[in-house]
Amino acid sequence: MGIRWTRYSVVLISMMLCQSAPAQPEKQAEKTVTADSAPDAAPDAAAIEFFETSVRPLLISACGDCHGAKKQWGGLRVDSRGALLKGGDTEPAVVPGKPEESLLMTSVRRIGDYDMPPENPLNANQIAILERWIAMGAPWPVETAHGETGNPEDHWAFQPISKAAPPSVATAPDWCRTPVDAFILSKLEAAQLSPSPPADRRTLIRRVFYTLTGLPPSPEEVEEFVQDADPLAYEKLVNRLLESPQYGEHWARHWLDLARYADTKGYMFGWEPNRFLHSATYRDWVVKAFQQDLPYDEFLLLQIAADQAAPDDAVAQGAMGFLTIGRRFLGNDHDIIDDRIDVVGRTTMGLTFGCARCHDHKYDPIPITDYYSLYGVFGNSTEELVPSSPPTERGSEAFRAELEKRVAQLDEKFQEYRNKISDRMRDRITDYLIAQSSLESYPDIPFSQIIAENDLFPVYLHRLDSFLRRMKEAGNPIFIPWHRYAAIPEEEFAQRAADVTEELARLGPEQVSPAVAAHFTVPPASMNEVAERYGALFTEVTRDWRTLNEQAVQAGTPAPTALPDPQREALRQVLYGDDSPCLVPNESLTGIGTFFATRSELEDIWKYQKAIEQWISDSPDAPAFAVRMIDKTLIDEPRVFRRGNPATKGNEVPRRFPLIVAGPDSPPFLKGSGRLELAQGIVSPDNPLTPRVWVNRIWQFHFGTGLVPTPSDFGVRAPEPAQLALLDWLATTLIEKNWSTKEIHRLILLSSTFQQAATGPEDLTVRRQAEEQDPENHLLWKKGVHRLTFEEFRDSLLKVSGDLDLTVGGRSSTLFSGGDSNRRRTLYGFIDRQSLPGPYSVFDFANPDLHIPVRSETTVSQQALFALNHPFVATRASELAAQITALQNATPAEQIQMLFRRIFQRPPTPRQLEMSLQFLEGAETQAQPQLTPEQLAWQYGTGAINDDAKAVLNFQPLPYFTGSSWQGGASFPDPTLGWAQLTAAGGHPGNDHNHAAVRRWTAPRSGTISIESLATHEPTEGNGIRCWIFSSRHGVLNRFLLHHSSQKISLPSLAVETGDTLDFVVDIHGSLGFDQYLWNVAIQDVGALAGTAEGGPAEKEWDSTRDFVGPATGMLTPWQQLVQVLLLSNEFLFVD
Amino acid sequence: MFPPQIPGNSPFPFGGRVVDRRSMLQRSAMGMGTIGLAGLMSTPRSVGAAGPALDSSVRQPHFPGTAKRVIHFFLNGGPSHIDTFDPKPMLKKYEGQAPPVSLATERKTGAAFPSPYSFKKYGESGIEVSELFAKTAEHIDDIAVIRSMYAQVPNHEPSLMLMNCGDSVLSRPSVGAWTLYGLGSENQNLPGFIAMCPQGLPIKGSSNWQSGFLPGAFQGTYVDPQHQTIDKLIENIRSPHASTSMQRRQLDLLQSLNSEHQQQFADDRLDSRIQSFELAFRMQMEAADAFDVEQEPEHIQQMYGSGVHARQTLIARRLLERGVRYVQLWHGAGQPWDDHANIEKNHRKLAGEIDQPIAALLADLKQRGMLEDTLVLWGGEFGRTPTVELGGDGKSQLGRDHNHYGFSVWMAGGGVRGGTVYGTTDDYGFKAVENPTSIHDFHATILHLLGFDHEKLTYRYAGRDFRLTDVHGHVIQEVLA
Repeated sequence: MGIRWTRYSVVLISMMLCQSAPAQPEKQAEKTVTADSAPDAAPDAAAIEFFETSVRPLLISACGDCHGAKKQWGGLRVDSRGALLKGGDTEPAVVPGKPEESLLMTSVRRIGDYDMPPENPLNANQIAILERWIAMGAPWPVETAHGETGNPEDHWAFQPISKAAPPSVATAPDWCRTPVDAFILSKLEAAQLSPSPPADRRTLIRRVFYTLTGLPPSPEEVEEFVQDADPLAYEKLVNRLLESPQYGEHWARHWLDLARYADTKGYMFGWEPNRFLHSATYRDWVVKAFQQDLPYDEFLLLQIAADQAAPDDAVAQGAMGFLTIGRRFLGNDHDIIDDRIDVVGRTTMGLTFGCARCHDHKYDPIPITDYYSLYGVFGNSTEELVPSSPPTERGSEAFRAELEKRVAQLDEKFQEYRNKISDRMRDRITDYLIAQSSLESYPDIPFSQIIAENDLFPVYLHRLDSFLRRMKEAGNPIFIPWHRYAAIPEEEFAQRAADVTEELARLGPEQVSPAVAAHFTVPPASMNEVAERYGALFTEVTRDWRTLNEQAVQAGTPAPTALPDPQREALRQVLYGDDSPCLVPNESLTGIGTFFATRSELEDIWKYQKAIEQWISDSPDAPAFAVRMIDKTLIDEPRVFRRGNPATKGNEVPRRFPLIVAGPDSPPFLKGSGRLELAQGIVSPDNPLTPRVWVNRIWQFHFGTGLVPTPSDFGVRAPEPAQLALLDWLATTLIEKNWSTKEIHRLILLSSTFQQAATGPEDLTVRRQAEEQDPENHLLWKKGVHRLTFEEFRDSLLKVSGDLDLTVGGRSSTLFSGGDSNRRRTLYGFIDRQSLPGPYSVFDFANPDLHIPVRSETTVSQQALFALNHPFVATRASELAAQITALQNATPAEQIQMLFRRIFQRPPTPRQLEMSLQFLEGAETQAQPQLTPEQLAWQYGTGAINDDAKAVLNFQPLPYFTGSSWQGGASFPDPTLGWAQLTAAGGHPGNDHNHAAVRRWTAPRSGTISIESLATHEPTEGNGIRCWIFSSRHGVLNRFLLHHSSQKISLPSLAVETGDTLDFVVDIHGSLGFDQYLWNVAIQDVGALAGTAEGGPAEKEWDSTRDFVGPATGMLTPWQQLVQVLLLSNEFLFVD
Repeated sequence: MFPPQIPGNSPFPFGGRVVDRRSMLQRSAMGMGTIGLAGLMSTPRSVGAAGPALDSSVRQPHFPGTAKRVIHFFLNGGPSHIDTFDPKPMLKKYEGQAPPVSLATERKTGAAFPSPYSFKKYGESGIEVSELFAKTAEHIDDIAVIRSMYAQVPNHEPSLMLMNCGDSVLSRPSVGAWTLYGLGSENQNLPGFIAMCPQGLPIKGSSNWQSGFLPGAFQGTYVDPQHQTIDKLIENIRSPHASTSMQRRQLDLLQSLNSEHQQQFADDRLDSRIQSFELAFRMQMEAADAFDVEQEPEHIQQMYGSGVHARQTLIARRLLERGVRYVQLWHGAGQPWDDHANIEKNHRKLAGEIDQPIAALLADLKQRGMLEDTLVLWGGEFGRTPTVELGGDGKSQLGRDHNHYGFSVWMAGGGVRGGTVYGTTDDYGFKAVENPTSIHDFHATILHLLGFDHEKLTYRYAGRDFRLTDVHGHVIQEVLA
């Protein structure tokens, strides 16, 4: 261990030093290396001349193109001694004084892992030059530094946090309400600038509402605050908002941007359900954590290691969604782990580990070994689906019983497969042993090839490889011969095998298992033969064991527990023991897909897993579930993947905390995977990054830009912030206040800095000076103006129209489909990372595949198109207009007053009042048929369907309404959509299976419904129609054929949730012709879900014939037009 | 003493020219010219603006490019190079037996499978092309075929990501997004990057034209060309609830309110948003016009032929003509070219759908003088095996498996040296052997034609400067005119 430590610290130090300042530090690096390796005299003139005339030109011409300043293939550069000593990726290229140990030499001799240069091999003379130079100790003249920055270890962000007292200020000590102000004012003073006057109360309440809750205040709340003479009114307001669930929701969304939150797994194979069962659990846990001001250290600890930090707290397990709601990368473990490393590193510490997957970080002191230390932590963790509700709330008995049944079915099937797969491996042990010498031809990248049952499985080859390595380390007597023979270079095998055989013969039974030794009395001809002899032995043992078991069954005696001969039993353990490479780990399917044959087996086993997930998602009363991480039972030490390629494994690295934080003596993790220790290191008070990164984010979300403008990169490329003292003061305060986020909010929000106006100093000369001197407002001489985000915009529209549903938590549902049924906060919109609906990306929503620390902010005309033309905005305008025009005994002027208060939280100016009145008078009008909620529940369209359809694909509303039917266009049949048509009584399918006629009903609330359906196909000609009833939640409810016949269906009870759809679908059977049909559907709401906010008695019913109606073509009324204009205004969208 | 600008905040990391939006507005008295309203989306350095300020106004590349716009025919699923642009007569010799070169692909394959189609020399260059693309081949002297492409794995998803976004795994911006980021768009009334795919999405959906870590404004806008009405083509392009005259009045009131509000704050974002409504208003008309192929004269419509592929190709030409920067035309939903079985019939049908439109586009661009600065790209995410695919029963499927070791793409127009063949695969078409060309090389060449040094078109994200070609890529000089 000691040796390893020295070596690692040397590599680290030399790496850091030569990357930054080649001159001075490089000498230190040489010294360090010198102490550890070869004697290294100061280069004399002759040595330098040899170097300059022979070596340097050779290095430049032969290697420089790929390993120079411009390119560093494999992370290697050859233009400095330090770089050569460090080497590429992991191994030093040059060991001074030892040509035979230098990778450079094996590469140019083309006898090692690399053949270099790839195209034009060096000639013998050139090779001799390099050899001589290395033997001389690799002399290199001392070179001067060329303008690089200082030692990365000295970078400000890696220094301990120092808490300075807030500076004293000369000009306006009264202005300072919290210590934050002293820091800000002192910088302003130094720049001879002054802050802006305080914002007025209307502005202030709107500002603080948005920054804490993402919502505007109501007119009543504004009036109350404006009138409140209490000097503590503002502070009380801040405290009240901090306690509200809406605060938790708004700040949770900030966090979810960092956690690359989504409700789906991304692109996946068909056998795996795409929807996460646990995303909402995680989201709701984050909301609650913010609302309850869970100390930030605990907040992080639980998200990374709740399984160990709070094993008995079921609810806390939901926190681990942080790790498990990332993209699934088609099940590729290497990428899933990379995503976890990235999100943990950047979110918590502002460190970017991603670069170090392939090579040492170019700027930051993060060596590739740090990356694989972390890789080992997550690689030794696996997923587990667990309930995340208190034990008393685990669903109805019926739910639990069925769940247990399905889990048992999976277990049984899984056990069956485990046995089968393990036996398959045992049967082919010889082939697996032979293939050990060509591991690189079996990359363990899942699903890059379709693996059939009779193929060699890469996963077993690599497990066998790590098993053999473990056996080597342990000196296991069964494998001593294997390892001795394996150590012989291939080309010398024939020659040296006899010697090894003799050596083996001299070893006692303690060292070599006699059962094995008996097979190696004659020298083997090749490693293949070694593998064959081992294979034959193992095959024999397997056969013996199976025979023994069969005999026991026949004799009715208990199953044997061991082979009688201890030697053979030891061999059996290799195949059957707990540590055996033949076993399929008993882990979640998500982690062990590669053990199964790609098509048949994997698809089959997933059916059972799917049945479990289906049951949970189909049961409205299902409790919350979490997918947490737990440690694997068998810990595999990670190895560096050269250039990030899992097929080229390098040295083993210990799992431990990144060195730049923990120092060169960072001790290895000892507990399981080390995940808990990692989390503890992140929140350790000695870690200066975590609290700095967090207070900076809080600042960023209040002011628009952080004190450090790159909130997720605190590496050496982030310059020291001008307000480092303030950052540190906040960071220390965070820790002192028990990591309370709300304390930091208060310090910021109660400051004069936050409360100043957005307009700038009143005195115009002063303002101009400020604008000129600090146009970007870095010094905060005014409050910046905030533009509403996508969520804030949508939520605000719902709030001002009085439609916002403030239900907290629960499953996600899509935002804009299903008419106007979704009126919840945007936070609860269903996020399909694979196909995010248009409005999300148009309004700069955070890309759910990536950690997004700062959203981009664009203004594109598609945003304006949404605002002008999307029914969602028009519906809000209509709703609000209806409330305003319903005001009794109010004049139009008074109504406009009210309207402005609702939208802007202020009365109109006289000019605005005048303009609004004029607008109303001159506006175009058109008769406006209002659709009932029942009518709005139905949609009429086409979709694609195949023989074993589970749902309608590509649902498209029919575009044209004749007055009595929906169809493709004015002419019928339509050139594109053919005969597809829907009428009040029935309809006609389109010309092919891609154009089935679809009558879609969308549930406006959660609850239970009943369905009565009568479908009739009258013609005797043709071959009839195919009919389906699909539920978006339950799949196929019914399917039947009609030809000159009728079908009546009653479904007394079906659970639905808001936004669920039912599709009544008809397509042609066989061929087109005589396919018109009649179909009436009556749906009754038989009760909302008990205990939900939407509760209440059943009263609604829908009837497909009665509700049939044309489009809501109603043009907006003058009032609605006016309201829409106000909702589109800049004043609504910007918060000052 | 101020924190320096975040590098990613600068929209012009490559030294482009910033057009000041205000002065631009003042110069164009009517408010908007036909050239891009610079700064439409810009939020330049306004206080409190959280993110990078980036817009789609026209920008100058590193050096004058030979191509100004790109159209990419994406034959998703993996077209067989052996049956299209890379003839392999040697396969005939090995028919019924395994060829000397046989590599592991996604599934099992067996004997050599000679192309069922006939090849013929075309043009002065005499390049051989199969009967599948006989019409396209008439333009072979304008085309540079790269026969030595290779990708990383024989699977659709990673290969699609690699071909479109330069990385097979990570979420990275697409070539179109990078192009828009680099050059902006010449028409602010239309999206600058449009991806069309009939009847639904290819696999990986919109990830194929994603903006990754670049702002959402650079993402491709998806259009399903099977629709004939404009409101189906572009989201929210028509109002279901207001007439044009109503909207005009609404916008007039909106702008009065906005200008009153704007007097209080000096924030460029307010101005940008005001303009965006005017642009959206006009876009409703311009977009309808651009997508309406019925406006084309009869002989042009006939030249492209009938069917949805002819239609999307003709729409594409109308878009390119109007200054849209990057158009990608996908063959269809899912992976149509993925012919593991019965390739002869299927490839013939698929090629039949696009051969005439592609040929028509090349001719049409040429007659309009647009071919010289329009880069036309053709290809899939990989090619197919020269060996026949075997089913689970070991029997021939008469199809070909995925092949990432060697395949063909071609480029035309926009400064490409026509009548060129670059690189070769082995005698059987399994693996690129001469001048193996990576996808990064292909991307570097595309960027070069557009006027960019691919190593310098960068964007700062997650602590480092990212580029389309990561740390790879060489411009293929041999295909440049």
